[in-house]
Amino acid sequence: MLPKYNVLTEEQVLIIHNESIKILEEIGMEFEYEPALKVFRAQGLKVEGNRVHFTREFIEGKIKLAPAEFTLHARNPEHDLVCGGENIIYMPGYGAPFIQLADGTRRKSTMQDYENIVKLAGASKNLHMTGGTVAEPQDIPDEIRHLKMIYSSIKNSDKCFMGSAEGRERAQDSIEMAGLLFGGKDVIKEKPVLISLINSLTPLKYDERMLGALMAYAEAGQAVVIASLVMAGSTGPAALVGTLALQNAEVLAGIALAQSINPGTPVVYGSTSALSDMRTGSLSIGSPETALFISASAQIARFYGVPSRSGGALNDSKIVDAQAGYESMMTLMAASVTGINFVLHTAGILQYFMAISYEKFMMDDEMAGMLLHYLKGFNFDEDGLAYDAIAKVGPGGHFLTQKHTRRNHKKEFRTPQLSDRAAFDAWSKEKLDTNQRAHKQWQEVLANYVPPQLDENIDKKLLEFIAQRS
Amino acid sequence: MKELFLELKQAIIDGDEDIVGELSQKVIDESINPVDAVQEGLIKGIEVVGELWKAGEVFLPDVMMSAEAMKVGLGLLEPEIAKLGMSEGESKGKIVLGTVEGDIHDIGKNITGAMFTAAGYKVFDIGTDIKAEDFVLKAQEVGADIIGASALLTTTMSAQKQIIDYLIEHNLKDQFKVFIGGGPTSQAYADEIGADGWAESADEAVALADRMLAK
Repeated sequence: MLPKYNVLTEEQVLIIHNESIKILEEIGMEFEYEPALKVFRAQGLKVEGNRVHFTREFIEGKIKLAPAEFTLHARNPEHDLVCGGENIIYMPGYGAPFIQLADGTRRKSTMQDYENIVKLAGASKNLHMTGGTVAEPQDIPDEIRHLKMIYSSIKNSDKCFMGSAEGRERAQDSIEMAGLLFGGKDVIKEKPVLISLINSLTPLKYDERMLGALMAYAEAGQAVVIASLVMAGSTGPAALVGTLALQNAEVLAGIALAQSINPGTPVVYGSTSALSDMRTGSLSIGSPETALFISASAQIARFYGVPSRSGGALNDSKIVDAQAGYESMMTLMAASVTGINFVLHTAGILQYFMAISYEKFMMDDEMAGMLLHYLKGFNFDEDGLAYDAIAKVGPGGHFLTQKHTRRNHKKEFRTPQLSDRAAFDAWSKEKLDTNQRAHKQWQEVLANYVPPQLDENIDKKLLEFIAQRS
Repeated sequence: MKELFLELKQAIIDGDEDIVGELSQKVIDESINPVDAVQEGLIKGIEVVGELWKAGEVFLPDVMMSAEAMKVGLGLLEPEIAKLGMSEGESKGKIVLGTVEGDIHDIGKNITGAMFTAAGYKVFDIGTDIKAEDFVLKAQEVGADIIGASALLTTTMSAQKQIIDYLIEHNLKDQFKVFIGGGPTSQAYADEIGADGWAESADEAVALADRMLAK
């Protein structure tokens, strides 16, 4: 593994921490949910209306309770994931309402898209889990959407997946279904199986929906990502350090709430902070500033001793083009080399989170594979030094007929899945660009994918639960 | 007097609500014609800002601060105009703006409000988490041309339809144009629920209103 690089000095991290504490102490934050306020009151904090004023002692004490790493359990134990430390977890995009098609048109996403993307993530060698709302199934009524999504995540892959963050009730449904899958709620309380995405409402608020879900998951011992998306310039200051301090204050308050409810709750420090475009106000995520926010967040989370989460292959492009590629590589690489542990939105995102594209998914899957290979770094054993082969060939000559070459290239070189390395004439026969190649590829992957068998009894129980809740 | 109007105009361009407040108070204290102050000062200023934005010479914070300053000026001068029984003159149109019930995201709505203000519309921003009925009541109260409803979540988009349903139910559909907007919305969705207009960005919404109200 390559060492993770830092973008801040230790002193700068401390400055950000102290600014966040000042925000939490002097300005405070609003929590629009009485049960959360009750928790803070019981902890002896000053609560005025919905506004909670924190203290340094409280925040710093609670952060220490959060585990440095934890295991997230999968239906297939081979896919269990350790979140934290040196580990990196890649997964698909989250929450996009549209599907961008290869021909340039865009439509609403459906349950079929959700299922397809879970399958593509299930088939991927580079994506470690299938994620959460991989596509917003707009053809399913809102009240039962979460049930259908969780079921699809369970049925179509045996990798880890995410729970619903749409309020306490839907979080509880997610926990019930996970309980059915893993043999009871007591079992999963000891072995977390769900991780869910709790977002603040920047600046300095949490809403009822998210707080209800956060509390349900914390009580049930399930993992939560506590994330803040500051849009620098609109929902946050037009300053990078100020934005980080604001984001950090929000995340610290959320983590402190989770630890107050259930000390030791597995949490992930989350950041999706980005920019507001100053011409239109719209969110802009494929920028160097976003890459800086990602990098700093990895480091700040390390300072607190908790796992980190950021976005992955982020971009503002409308289609699978060069902009989509170069912006995505910048942010995904920043996340990967600075030590982000939980990389949401690794695959599929276009249009600043508004759309998922199957073709972009395949392109990002390739990038994820490239980066996993990059992160492995160098091999310094005898095969890696290859002195014998160098000696054998001597001056002049070539290595193509060496046994070492035939054996070792498979270990040290990565074969591309999607990139085209053919010569010009060979490529010219079909002249397929990345978008077109990816379009063919995802259909092949989907056609060949066989979902892992789900125990019939469990399947029946899950379907009964859904019927009863619908 | 002319000088004062020029200062007002400049303060709007600068987006300086303190100076706009001071100058507007001066208009009242010195019994200067408040309608002229609005027409020759405030509106002239915001027109310049609108033009500069279109030309790409100013950014969103410039427009939004000018719109805020405009609000301060109108807040002082409009009651004076009403007190004197005068007419403020014609605006390009009136729009009631809000974020729908169940949704508290307001950045998009605020930007849209500023853009409409900069384009010479009278904007009534009624906030976030607004019931269908309250949109319509406000629109009736102020005689709005357009009701603008924003939603950021796929789960709150249905509340945009509720506004249209409410209008149909109360036989008011032809009295107002309903515009919808927000991340997950689209022209197809607008057509599906019977909205009169949809735009992806604030400036496109203004352009659409210009076209629609000109008819």
